[in-house]
Amino acid sequence: MIAVILIKVLIIVALVLGLGAFLTLVERKFAGHVQRRPGPMVVGWHGLLQPLADGLKLITKEDLFPSMGNRILYNLAIILALVPAALVFAVIPFGPEFSIGSISVKPILTDVNVGLLLVFAFGSMAVFAIALAGWASNSKYALIGSMRKAGIVISYEVVITFAVMGPIILAGTLSTYEIVQNQIQQKLWYIWVQPIAFIVYLFAMLAETGRVPFDIQEAEAELVTGFTVEYGGMKFGLFPLVEWYVEVLSLSAIAVVLFLGGWSPINIPFIGFVDPLFFLGPFSGFVWFILKLSALFLLTLWIHWTLPRYRIDQITQIAWSVMLPLTLVNLVLTAIIAPLIWR
Amino acid sequence: MVKRVFEKPLSLMERVLFLDFMKGLSITIRQAFKRTITTHYPYEKLKPPKRFRGFFGHKVINGKEPQPAFTEWVERFKIAVEPGKSRCVVCLLCKRACPVPQLFEIEGEKLPDGKRRVSIFNMNMMLCTFCGFCVDACPVDCLFQSDIHETASYSRKDAVLDLSTLEKIGKDWQNRREDEPDRIWADDNARMRLWYENSPKLG
Repeated sequence: MIAVILIKVLIIVALVLGLGAFLTLVERKFAGHVQRRPGPMVVGWHGLLQPLADGLKLITKEDLFPSMGNRILYNLAIILALVPAALVFAVIPFGPEFSIGSISVKPILTDVNVGLLLVFAFGSMAVFAIALAGWASNSKYALIGSMRKAGIVISYEVVITFAVMGPIILAGTLSTYEIVQNQIQQKLWYIWVQPIAFIVYLFAMLAETGRVPFDIQEAEAELVTGFTVEYGGMKFGLFPLVEWYVEVLSLSAIAVVLFLGGWSPINIPFIGFVDPLFFLGPFSGFVWFILKLSALFLLTLWIHWTLPRYRIDQITQIAWSVMLPLTLVNLVLTAIIAPLIWR
Repeated sequence: MVKRVFEKPLSLMERVLFLDFMKGLSITIRQAFKRTITTHYPYEKLKPPKRFRGFFGHKVINGKEPQPAFTEWVERFKIAVEPGKSRCVVCLLCKRACPVPQLFEIEGEKLPDGKRRVSIFNMNMMLCTFCGFCVDACPVDCLFQSDIHETASYSRKDAVLDLSTLEKIGKDWQNRREDEPDRIWADDNARMRLWYENSPKLG
């Protein structure tokens, strides 16, 4: 059993960091083509090795530190950013249970019964990283950036918690694996009955990961990338890696689990599932999960490279006066209707 | 009292269904699948137009000097005319026209036979604004601006163009582009690359 868990850990860590680095290339290509540029083209075929070159460059760079900064907090912020973001993947189910020989393997690291609670606890910890980074840098821009992030936390964290309560009520569990199982048993992706919650979740996801239109903590036009401004080399590289790629991936995965039925194929509500990828056999589930995940990730990129930035008061206003009432209404309706249908 | 001007407020449908977001998203995705319009710069370079205001050069004497101006200036200053050398007649009109005159360092010398010619002509490109006034002022069509625009150098000294460099640029220019028609863009392909979708009528 230990061996299986170790293998899972290795796969997840490799996947998170490797994929995160590779997604920088995806983003640069996408951003380039939106602006009618080709993006990186020189290193490797169509810039395929660009992430390696970037990593090499960042690692060999000089490690600068602001003279009046707080060195302990400065380094702690990096760890606080990376570790919770990577830990979220411990509770994400990548596919259905399968068996190799006599061992049956669940492709999820720990199927704890408070999985979703863990996800949002870790998500909240990422904010500490940003606040600490800004404080420890002892720089105006960094501090403004982290204060902005701390300012919008109270808007999106409340909203995201209320948004996910709808699917939780429908599934009757907090375990991510069980939520997907329930969706398959009920023959229903929860997005069909929770579209409002899904949109609100997307809103909060963009705010949490610092993506446009809610990237006020970075705001390169005003704050020269905000809280990361005093970081250099790979320390600088880690923050966008974590915020823009690892967190977007983990929150997209949670969205797939909650609303899009995890590894289940295309759903016709209450009737069943249609699987155009049936020829892949046991791999079909994993492929569906990856497809949904990449679709959500590309949607995030698409929004990022289209929209302008909101002001902090506008974000708070949207969150408290539009999104929160919507989710509350949604929550009440779900709580009334769900027992009538499924219990 | 400040007059407050608003855009037309969004209708309820637009607010609920994010129609304005959709409009923006559809624009970006349509652009994403079109052809890219960039040049892969170090590997692929656009030819600048002939009128481009780049580094300076001295056109050399090759029998195509503007007449009768050139002969008049040569006679007035008793300039030694030698084919293949700079047309400069040391009139200093370029220096007088220049908004930063100290960037020019011009001296003439007297040859043993009593004729004169330019001996030092330095232009400090660190001070130059590339306004082209000196080119307009030049009475013998000697000083001109070439299409050389990749001018990075390793030291400040390299940014000073001396007489031999200016003559070299001038000879190169006269070989390459002197006879081209004077147009905004070097060739139609360069223009089409940038604005192919406007399909301009060329004539």
